[in-house]
Amino acid sequence: MSAYRTGDPLDRRRFLTTTALHGATVIGATALGAVDADAAFAAPIRPLDPAVAESAFAEGRITAINDDVLAVAGSYGDHSRVRVTGATSVWKARATTAADIETGDGLYARGVPLPDGTLAADAVWVNIVNLHATIRGIEKTRLHLAHGQHEIVGNLMTEATSAAYGTASPTADLSRLTIGQSAQVLGAWRPSDGSVDLVRVAVAPGAGRRR
Amino acid sequence: MACGSTKLWNGEATWFCCGSAWGPCSSAGGGACGTCRSSALQAAWPNASKACWDITRPDLCGEDIPRRGCGSVMKVRHDCSGASVCVTVSDCGPRTRGFCSESTCCDGICRTNRVIDLTPAAFSAIGSLSSGTLPVSIFE
Repeated sequence: MSAYRTGDPLDRRRFLTTTALHGATVIGATALGAVDADAAFAAPIRPLDPAVAESAFAEGRITAINDDVLAVAGSYGDHSRVRVTGATSVWKARATTAADIETGDGLYARGVPLPDGTLAADAVWVNIVNLHATIRGIEKTRLHLAHGQHEIVGNLMTEATSAAYGTASPTADLSRLTIGQSAQVLGAWRPSDGSVDLVRVAVAPGAGRRR
Repeated sequence: MACGSTKLWNGEATWFCCGSAWGPCSSAGGGACGTCRSSALQAAWPNASKACWDITRPDLCGEDIPRRGCGSVMKVRHDCSGASVCVTVSDCGPRTRGFCSESTCCDGICRTNRVIDLTPAAFSAIGSLSSGTLPVSIFE
């Protein structure tokens, strides 16, 4: 029997907390699978269990992975421990499982603080970035982007990178991206070389029209 | 300051990073107000000052967004889920003029033009970071 199903009366966070508190934590792909964060947040938000504190947030670099707990060094010298359960949605360039999380990755996590000091995460976004940039160069497999004073290489991912041209739905057709366009870039940072795997490149309405 | 219920605006919310951070965000800095942190419940507002307005120019998209300076408090509500979060204005943004007419929809509700930028902590409190944008209503 599945302990959690989308649409159940059982609140997602209540399940998450209950699971974590009772020590039934699991990591990686399970019968529950990775729950997509967009779908999870599209569901109506119910009040938290009165016994559970307000939701919390953590960010930083992962310094160690011990079973289902991620040790995270925050950007201000703080430290947190993020607990991943079978109900945790994991994003790393796509919806995935905790098996893809590595030491050195950056993360944002949202969840519920537990009495043991860990954050039981209902969603973790690994290496996610959302940058305003200018397209400076276009190659077959990558874009060269200017972000502030920095140059960033954006890796085009076959059948995964999409472009959004104004009000139109995102498309796999990247041919209307042009040098000089301002773009909002959503992707996953690669700690190994500082480049970004591009998930979605959004440009202003009209900016991608052929003249 | 209170997180009020008087309707202020609606439109698209996006997210951005600021303060000390990892990855490409490491150079983001504290923003126009000098206090911005990705892990705090904060926001960037396109009319945080005259200088800010000159950069964001929401009027070019038909959005005559009122001035709300650093420290102003707003409630941002996801228009479909009803989830909300209280944020403090800590930066200038988003660059509304760059995405005039862009819209984000859910359950048949659409909001047009980028009118507020949320920190990861604030955005993730009401939606998924991987969505990039959310349709929101803003109160004060």
